[in-house]
Amino acid sequence: MAYDRGGRGGGGRGGGRGGFGGDRGGRGGFGGGRGGARGGAVSKFGGGGRGGFGDRGGRGGGRGAPGGRGRGAPRGGARGGARGGARGGAKVVVEPHRHEGIFIARGKEDMLVTKNLVPGESVYGEKRISVDNADQTKTEYRVWNPFRSKIAAGVLGGVDNIHIGPGKKVLYLGAASGTSVSHVADVVGPTGLVYAVEFSHRSGRDLINMAKKRTNVIPIIEDARHPHKYRMLVGMVDVIFADVAQPDQARIVTMNAHMFLKNGGHVAISIKANCIDSTVAADIVFAKEVKKLEEERVKAQEQLTLEPYERDHALVIGVYRRQKKTKASE
Amino acid sequence: MSFFLLHETASGYALFERIESEEIGQELEEVQKSVLDLARFSKTVKLRSFAPFKSAAHALENIMDVSEGIVNPSLKAFLEMNMPKAGKKQTVQLGVSESNLGGGIKAELGYDCLHNETVRELLRGIRLHADRLMSQLKDGDLDKAQLGLGHAYSRSKVKFNVNRADNMIMQSINLLDQLDKDVNTFSMRVREWYGWHFPELVKICADNAMYAKLVKLIKNKGDLGEEKLEELEVVTGDPIKAKQILDAARASMGTDISEIDMTNIDSFAERVVALTDYRKKLHGYLVSKMHQVAPNLSALIGEMVGARLIAHAGSLTNLSKYPASTVQILGAEKALFRALKTKGNTPKYGLIYHSTFIGRAAQKNKGRISRVLANKCSIACRIDCFLDKPTSKFGELLREQVEERVRFYEEGVTPRKNAEVMQKALAAVGMEDLMDVVANDDDDEEDAAEEAEPPKKRKAAKAEAAADSDASDAELPKKKSKKEKKPKKEGSEKKKKSKKDKN
Repeated sequence: MAYDRGGRGGGGRGGGRGGFGGDRGGRGGFGGGRGGARGGAVSKFGGGGRGGFGDRGGRGGGRGAPGGRGRGAPRGGARGGARGGARGGAKVVVEPHRHEGIFIARGKEDMLVTKNLVPGESVYGEKRISVDNADQTKTEYRVWNPFRSKIAAGVLGGVDNIHIGPGKKVLYLGAASGTSVSHVADVVGPTGLVYAVEFSHRSGRDLINMAKKRTNVIPIIEDARHPHKYRMLVGMVDVIFADVAQPDQARIVTMNAHMFLKNGGHVAISIKANCIDSTVAADIVFAKEVKKLEEERVKAQEQLTLEPYERDHALVIGVYRRQKKTKASE
Repeated sequence: MSFFLLHETASGYALFERIESEEIGQELEEVQKSVLDLARFSKTVKLRSFAPFKSAAHALENIMDVSEGIVNPSLKAFLEMNMPKAGKKQTVQLGVSESNLGGGIKAELGYDCLHNETVRELLRGIRLHADRLMSQLKDGDLDKAQLGLGHAYSRSKVKFNVNRADNMIMQSINLLDQLDKDVNTFSMRVREWYGWHFPELVKICADNAMYAKLVKLIKNKGDLGEEKLEELEVVTGDPIKAKQILDAARASMGTDISEIDMTNIDSFAERVVALTDYRKKLHGYLVSKMHQVAPNLSALIGEMVGARLIAHAGSLTNLSKYPASTVQILGAEKALFRALKTKGNTPKYGLIYHSTFIGRAAQKNKGRISRVLANKCSIACRIDCFLDKPTSKFGELLREQVEERVRFYEEGVTPRKNAEVMQKALAAVGMEDLMDVVANDDDDEEDAAEEAEPPKKRKAAKAEAAADSDASDAELPKKKSKKEKKPKKEGSEKKKKSKKDKN
């Protein structure tokens, strides 16, 4: 196996995200803080011996908090001893995750990974792991950082069903630079399709570049508030994922659902409490949002917090127009 | 009666005819049920015609129009060819997915366009079964067309950015701030470094840029003699200082320095001097840009603060959409949200603080001046954003008004009426016709000016009424207004409307 590391590539992020409104900037800020924490952890390990794995040292530090929470991925800190800092030779075993299309790389620490659609390339400087198959071929996986992706955080947080799987069509609202989108594209695979909607031109640029390499991603630079503007570009979808951090988020999502979501399709929304109302407690905000969704025939099935990866965030999974359907089971 | 449905896809326009039509009452539920089942649905809705786009460019042109609700010539031709003429006996209705486009079609072709719950359900059904219903298309054709068109559409969006000039301002103001910081740290480094050799110079010359220039001139202090006095005078602009430097160099307690060390210090000092010059040039560029993009705002509050406001809002258009109360605390978000959370006092000013007005106002008046200034700023940037005629007259007069307000708080001189001042501004710009109360609403300029006026008149009335009571409890209502930003905005809109109605 080989690791490819690379900077966090966060350079363009803060600036670009501004486009969706000041609130997005908040998230960038959070990321910055994290970066700092990581740096600290690296120096603790002493950069020298660990050489190429400086990044991992930081990671362990960051991840300590969740402890055994994530049921998908137990941590394996104790096992890493044999590996030292050596670049090659370490054993990483990739196992499928409970959710189809997502994998766990078990090494010194366990990591969430997705099968890379474009082997040999990272999208945003994330690490890649290539594993030898039995038939002499190699499969490459990309590490999915839960601190940078709400979906990954939700998966590690133990969501029951993420509804994004191979062959699914996904409408992704708030695609930003396409970092999470690239993983979603990996998950749905070549038979699936991701419609990635982003309003900011700055991050849209990165999104388009990412989409050039992944033909199952359709980039749409348009305001998600006006689904009719991109109605020609989107077909019926199985899942809508929204990470738009806007006060009228529920409205944005349901409008899109009315136009593009199959009956019995699912909605996954990441809600940032502060973006909707910073003066009341997060729980109340979440409850209000869930109520708004239910008024528009999106029945919430699951709600989980994204702690410790994000503060005051919740991931809500819902189903759209279920009762009338025969294919509700889908 | 015949009922058609227009479905726009990435590969072309499709026209469907609805065959069965149920009674209106149960229609919705009926449709919803049938939509799910392809067999039933294909009996309800039949493809009448499908016109594929000729090329990628053609498709792009069409999606641009469709997303803006404009009837593209090719859509017009398509509908004309395939829809029956609306005759005397037969009514023809067309279901569309968006009312703007419907309005356009109605205007161009005269078909009745429907956009209701039923139409939406039917279109959902068509979208769901699009592959099957449109027999011309093979499986996956639509996806491919979507992919190609999605890329083309998004690229063109990114390419055509309406905020081009604003982006230049934002970048240069940010660079300017960055340069200020960097030049300062670099200068400190020069001082530290050269200070080992000539510590006395720091005391004599406090200015960073001048210090760097002096370093380049003096170099090794041992070589400094009377012959350089003139040059020193040129750099410092002060014969006494030049003399001081000369004296200090002779009696300096600094260490000696080798040739190679001096060369390095010298080249670094040169960098600092160059950066300082560059900063000056950049400032000039920003000022000229601001005069082009936002002349009134610059005249009112200064180019730098104006540029910061624009940078913070993201663009001039965004800034002009903000209510004045938001402009007032722009840049103080942290304090605002903390205050909202803890129910404490909201901040009085954000970026606006850097304007000279607030510095000049007495402590207890700072909040009031900030409020007035924010009001004027929001008017100024609306004028800048929506007025086609480039002028800074409004900004200058608004500035005078703020001056008057400052004087009012300080000395009690009654300021002029807003209406009066704006009439003067309009007269100066040569748009006297706008002063007339009876304005015909067909001109953009008019709208902009009108938009600018009502809030001012309103404010004038309010200010007069509140002038006396203001003194005691001015802060309190303001805080409230910020918390209830939205209601207030609505209120102001209503007021604007009523104003227009009166007109």
